[in-house]
Amino acid sequence: MTTPKINFREIKDWTVDNFFGSKLGILLTLFSGLLIVYFISSIVSFISSAEWEVVSINKRLLLLGRLPAEDTWRAWPILWVFCFVFCSSIGAWGNPKKRELLLLLLAFLMPTAIFFSMSYIVHIFITIIIGSASYISSKIIRRTLYLGILKKGLVSLWILLIPLAFTILLVGGGPQSNLWGGFLLNILLASVAVVAGFPLGILMAVGRSTKLPVIKTACTVYIETVRGAPLVAWLLLAWFVLPKFLPNLFGLNDLSVVIRAMIVLSFFASAYIAEVIRGGLQSIPSGQLEAADALNLGYVDKMRIIVLPQAIRVVIPAIVSQFIGLFKDTSLVFILALTDLLQVGRIIPEQDPKFFGRQIEALLVVASLFWVVSVVLSNLSSRIEKNLGIGTR
Amino acid sequence: MIQVSFLIFVALLGTYLFSRAFQLELSLSHFRSRAGFGLSHTFLVDYTSNDSRWVAYFTGVVNTIRVCLVAIFLTTILGTIMGVARLSKNFLTSRIAWTYVEVLRNTPLLIQIIFWQIVFLQLPQISEAITFGDTTAISNRGILLPWISDNGGAQIWFIFLGMVAVGSLFISYFLNKREDESGKYLSLAGKKLNGNLVGIIFFMIAAIVTFFAFGRPVSMDIPEIIQNNKGTWMQSGGFDLSPEFAAILFALVIYTGTFITEIVRGSIQSLSRGQTEAAEAIGLSKYQAMTLVILPQALRSIIPPLTNQFLNLTKNSSLAVVIAYPDLFMVSRTIMNNSGHALPVFFLILLTYLFLSLCISLVMNLINRRVTRIGA
Repeated sequence: MTTPKINFREIKDWTVDNFFGSKLGILLTLFSGLLIVYFISSIVSFISSAEWEVVSINKRLLLLGRLPAEDTWRAWPILWVFCFVFCSSIGAWGNPKKRELLLLLLAFLMPTAIFFSMSYIVHIFITIIIGSASYISSKIIRRTLYLGILKKGLVSLWILLIPLAFTILLVGGGPQSNLWGGFLLNILLASVAVVAGFPLGILMAVGRSTKLPVIKTACTVYIETVRGAPLVAWLLLAWFVLPKFLPNLFGLNDLSVVIRAMIVLSFFASAYIAEVIRGGLQSIPSGQLEAADALNLGYVDKMRIIVLPQAIRVVIPAIVSQFIGLFKDTSLVFILALTDLLQVGRIIPEQDPKFFGRQIEALLVVASLFWVVSVVLSNLSSRIEKNLGIGTR
Repeated sequence: MIQVSFLIFVALLGTYLFSRAFQLELSLSHFRSRAGFGLSHTFLVDYTSNDSRWVAYFTGVVNTIRVCLVAIFLTTILGTIMGVARLSKNFLTSRIAWTYVEVLRNTPLLIQIIFWQIVFLQLPQISEAITFGDTTAISNRGILLPWISDNGGAQIWFIFLGMVAVGSLFISYFLNKREDESGKYLSLAGKKLNGNLVGIIFFMIAAIVTFFAFGRPVSMDIPEIIQNNKGTWMQSGGFDLSPEFAAILFALVIYTGTFITEIVRGSIQSLSRGQTEAAEAIGLSKYQAMTLVILPQALRSIIPPLTNQFLNLTKNSSLAVVIAYPDLFMVSRTIMNNSGHALPVFFLILLTYLFLSLCISLVMNLINRRVTRIGA
């Protein structure tokens, strides 16, 4: 074995080949170089003139919206539980490479750096301990025979995560749901929509791929209608029309706007998830169906035992992408006058005359939060894709 | 059996919903009454606040179609360039395309729209407008571009030009077909004249001849920025790209472009490397290999997902409401607020977007059929 040596000749060849290989290459290099210089110079000139006070005094508003100060503690247990489940899942399933762990760390550090304040140092410390402890312990359990139990437990915890979050937010006279806001609201809305839309999506996908004409037509009409109009239009429906269609039972027609947004987003998500799952259903080789028929399984059993587990396994990455899309789309709840992260980011520069002209700073912080979550998730999705071996069969 | 019970369930749900719906005002008759609100952008439709709600609504539809058409055109170009750039051997170029996709695909479109609006509103004031040799003026009231103006008879001339264009397309088609079938071609002074070239030359000559024959129906309209006697700055002439229109256009083009980049990249990568090597082997230049061999083949797997992106773009154009660009959605929402009859207006929105989506799908299916037929 020879020690890797830096070969200057190779580097030189690579450089020449890459940048000055042909006339077109030189032109491209010059053009790209100019573009990069332009962008870097404008970023530098922006940063040198930027003032971040507009963000730093509105940290809580950005993250939690109008949630009252005495209820701020409720956000931490949610973060801890999530951190525990997330990190243990990585330990139990994933084989993260160094690069991916670094990305995760960066994704964690960036919001922490932006929103750090001394009063929460203990909370952040607890988060880090929970995260690393659960990761390491699940790594250790992985080598033992209890891995199966751990995985089952984690799956049920993932399902329980949203009810748990609701409980933490509401327990002991929590704030009204229309006070939820900021980043918390975006995450809650997207998670609820995907989790609630998932079962409905499966039903619709199965319904659309049956041979029964009535069910097939009804499901197709549902899916295509929901996908036909933009999300803002559906949200507007939730604002104006939904209360008039809900029965006058249990105060259903007096739902808070947040819950209405969740309902509409769930229905919206279900149509898109249905299309994704239908793609998965179509990818199941017909031999599987014939085998199920040969075993004399009924339709329900055939779907439940043979087809759906395979189909859903195939479409997990696509569903993660749907989640990313939906997560970005939760910023549209401005139409319902909810104060989500983006809305807060738009309001805070207008509060104080000294923040005049500081909209870009606020907007950048908002964008970076959305960006971090989306990038982490899309890396996760491509990782799952590789682990499941989709497309490499 | 299942179907019957399902049908009963749907029927019950339907009856309930209809019984609720009939308690509401369902007709669109209020659309005939006076709209009573002004719109900042009108295009092709002469709209004032005294017109009926229908006129307001159609102004909105035209505004939506306008922004979508321009955006679809530009985003396709941007996406294709970036998709090819992502696969470039040049390290800098491929990194630029990679950064573009990774940064902008993962931030919400809404943020990008608001960002561009802020950027366009932070441009210099009109008194200090940036000008490029009297042809273009950029200020926070919008971007003024040179445009054509009607000297009378422009419409007839445009219709005539359309006919000439169809005629020249026909000539090129005929000449190309003849060359394919019999190998004959026109030649001038011993040089071969390509069918496409003949068509273009024919079109240019016809256009120039008719331009004078119709007595110069159009002329250039140069934008002007002047200070009137009261000291206020006025802009006149030219094509006014307002900050709102520019913001929604930029955001839609750049955001959708990231997805198209990925589609183009994926399709090119799915072609076997043998295609590139074969193109190299027969001595095509890189540009020729890309435009004659790679892209036409990649187009087959590009078009179906591209259609999807165009549909998304059309639906996403409704986000223009956040910066008060009066598109279909914003106008309908205003009507909804003013009239208080939300449900019928909502169905109108739904049907209009469905109609627009159908039109796009139809055109794209035609293109798709043509693309998949070649050499298949």
